[in-house]
Amino acid sequence: MVTTEALKNFGADTDEGITRCAGKEELYLKLVGRIREDAGFSDIKDALEKKDLDRAFESAHKLKGALANLSLGPLLDPVDRITESLRHREDRDYSSDLAEMEVKKKEFDALFA
Amino acid sequence: MYFSNIKRNVLVVDDEEINREILGGILEEHYNVLYAEDGKKAMSVIEEQGPLLSLVLLDLMMPVMDGFAVMEKMQEDVVYKNIPIIVLTSEESAEIESLKKGAADFIKKPYDMPEKIIARVKRIIALYEERMIIQSTERDELTGLLSRNYFYEYASLQDKFNPGRRMDAVTVNINHFHLYNELYGIPEGNKAIKKVADILRKYAEENDGIACRSEGDNFSLYLPHRDSYEDLAKEIRDGIYFAEDVYNTQIRLGINQQIDEDDRLEMAFDRARMAGDTIADKQNRFIAYYDSEMRKQQIFEERLIRDIANAIVKGEIKVMYQPKYDITKDAPALKGAEALVRWNHPEFGMLSPGSFISLFEENGMIQMMDRYVWQQAALQVKKWKDEFDVTIPISVNVSRIDIQDPDIVAELLQIVKDADVAPSDLHLEITESAYASDTKQLIETVDRFRKEGFVIEMDDFGSGYSSLNMLTSLPIDILKVDMRFVEDLLKDQKRMRMMELVVEIAEFLEVPVTVEGVEEKEQVDALKKLGVRMIQGYYFSKPVSEREFAYLIREA
Repeated sequence: MVTTEALKNFGADTDEGITRCAGKEELYLKLVGRIREDAGFSDIKDALEKKDLDRAFESAHKLKGALANLSLGPLLDPVDRITESLRHREDRDYSSDLAEMEVKKKEFDALFA
Repeated sequence: MYFSNIKRNVLVVDDEEINREILGGILEEHYNVLYAEDGKKAMSVIEEQGPLLSLVLLDLMMPVMDGFAVMEKMQEDVVYKNIPIIVLTSEESAEIESLKKGAADFIKKPYDMPEKIIARVKRIIALYEERMIIQSTERDELTGLLSRNYFYEYASLQDKFNPGRRMDAVTVNINHFHLYNELYGIPEGNKAIKKVADILRKYAEENDGIACRSEGDNFSLYLPHRDSYEDLAKEIRDGIYFAEDVYNTQIRLGINQQIDEDDRLEMAFDRARMAGDTIADKQNRFIAYYDSEMRKQQIFEERLIRDIANAIVKGEIKVMYQPKYDITKDAPALKGAEALVRWNHPEFGMLSPGSFISLFEENGMIQMMDRYVWQQAALQVKKWKDEFDVTIPISVNVSRIDIQDPDIVAELLQIVKDADVAPSDLHLEITESAYASDTKQLIETVDRFRKEGFVIEMDDFGSGYSSLNMLTSLPIDILKVDMRFVEDLLKDQKRMRMMELVVEIAEFLEVPVTVEGVEEKEQVDALKKLGVRMIQGYYFSKPVSEREFAYLIREA
């Protein structure tokens, strides 16, 4: 099970996240756990590969909201950049943002090991 | 106003489960939190909860049906549009459109600290609940028109924002509406009210005005000035025709186009209604304007009301006596008098009762005047007894409102006692219409009067209020028939027959008849032939002063 300590070391602002969850650490950790299985990460990648910018934006936007609310900064940063570009349906090279997202996601997943 | 002891229902709509749960985690301590993951599911919760839902927290970007579509749907519904919406958004650009679509507030993503969110939610719910309470008193329930108080509020608000704009006060009534309700029942009456309300609402909207129903069939409109209201009268008259309406319902409009800037609005509408009431019984007149004549009359009446108490003290109220003659013998004999008042007003000159009696009857001031006349009459009877050694009873008026006074019998007894005369020296005239209005109490009071020895005369008999059946049960000593009943006595056979009938009724009741307003010898002869005993009128004498009356006594 992931700990608050581990998330803090990962770079999450856990104090903020827990406060936002009405001070309920247990709820915070439970919701953070959901991020691990969140389909958003693969959806973004898949949609971008298929040049479906609308779908990519919808997935990124949704994921961004959850990450921001949980104050998972390291995951939020690349997803935020992708979302803001996609908001204007920018057809740019997203590979470095995607790569960062995947690296951080792996680090994040490892916290649960 | 915000009751914090109830747990209200709030709906969180967001396609991201994590966001829903965080918000739910914040709100669940204070609210029952319901969830929906898209607009469509949100609508089904809203439909299920209806007015039980206190707030919707709404994400904008969602699959199936987005937040904007939810707002649009809610705005279309009379109930749902009163449920406040807080939009959950990370984009400022969406705020304007959200406001346009009816959002009450925003919560930014990522969420603020919980206390802030709770404070916002509470504030918006309180605001909307208060607005609902105001709305429910703002509108008349039956018609949806403004209620009276709000009408005046809005009217003065309009004046404030349009200084110098000339406005008209218009009142609309349905003639004899209580009768309509009685004939067709309250539901039909309400239907008619709603129909009129719809027409007025439309008219007010089209003409940049406002409309209200204050109560019953009383409607008011506040409109920018126009010269004519024929179109409005026509619209209503065309609109309220019902197939079953055999009674031929009519309406009346009272219009006040002379509103001064410093007039109180209530007063402006009172004047409009006053104008309208002048045609309440006219079959073919639907519009009456408050005019300078009416204004003069109103100012005149206000003066009289202000002056009356002082006038009595200063002796401006003169009591005159019109003699009554017994015509059963060859030579008419002076047998009684009726006390009648004149007001010698310092400014308006000599005023006849016609110009103030009905006014004082309306506002109850007649009591003051009646008492004064009773005292004067009692003293007068005493004077004639002392001076001429004759007993000439005087008839005095007893108004309907006097009879409602529980001390009335004791008061009159005291008056005759103070003057040292007998109760039978005062004849109490009570109008036939008073008998018809509050029969039970009146009969009780009249019985008490008679037991004490007062003589009761039914005044204005034949003015058409009492049924024969009622007459037989009424305690009366004398029937007094009005002039109108006999004016064409000689020319009109039918009226002659009516007069015969009255005398026959009186004989049957064993009650003598007095006819007043008799002016010609032919009338006297005809009445004598019919068996009428007592006559009062200009044929013998007009109402005269105490001094002149003394001559008449000496002559006799």
